[in-house]
Amino acid sequence: MSAPSPSAAGQGIRWSLARVARWAHAIRSWQRERRCTESELRGIKLLREWLSPVQLAQFDRYGYFDVVGCDSGKTYRICYRCGTNIYELDRDGRRKVGWCFVPVDTLVAGDVVLAQKIALETSERRALAVARNFMPSWH
Amino acid sequence: MATQIVMDHSGDTRHYFDANDAKALLEAEERFLKLTGAGFTAAVRTASGEPAVTRRFDPAAGETLFFPRLVGG
Repeated sequence: MSAPSPSAAGQGIRWSLARVARWAHAIRSWQRERRCTESELRGIKLLREWLSPVQLAQFDRYGYFDVVGCDSGKTYRICYRCGTNIYELDRDGRRKVGWCFVPVDTLVAGDVVLAQKIALETSERRALAVARNFMPSWH
Repeated sequence: MATQIVMDHSGDTRHYFDANDAKALLEAEERFLKLTGAGFTAAVRTASGEPAVTRRFDPAAGETLFFPRLVGG
């Protein structure tokens, strides 16, 4: 009986890692949604409906997603929470500066980040004109 | 059925209407004007799925999303 070839072994490891990643993603999503109220779940559902496929994959995996500003072409990372959650990224993908703008009414986190996404993708200058900036605490 | 989705404290409230029904269409237009007049932004999705802000009521829009005015946090 011969040993598996290096390429076959590599494929096996990749398959196993992909399977572990899928399980980890499923557990993270389950934990996040288990702690949510009905309103928050509705907010997440609406957000998921409006994210692009790439943004949705990123959100499911990491709990954040990136958007491109319509005016400057800059990339912003929006994290899933209700404030101080937007980071302008530099060319290397590091957090350069934080931006904070939110809907005037109290909304669930899913609605807040969806409003921020649409604002940056359709009216970036107007959104940043009302925003406050802050220094990211870590990279 | 066309839908107007309004973000609120409960997540969202959805208003469904038949775009072929003149009365329902008028009500939807009035809702659009009332919300945008109160500072809400109306957004629709383009054919490619990207969001676009709209300032006029579009009877042909399948789904319109309204979110409140944005302020510095």
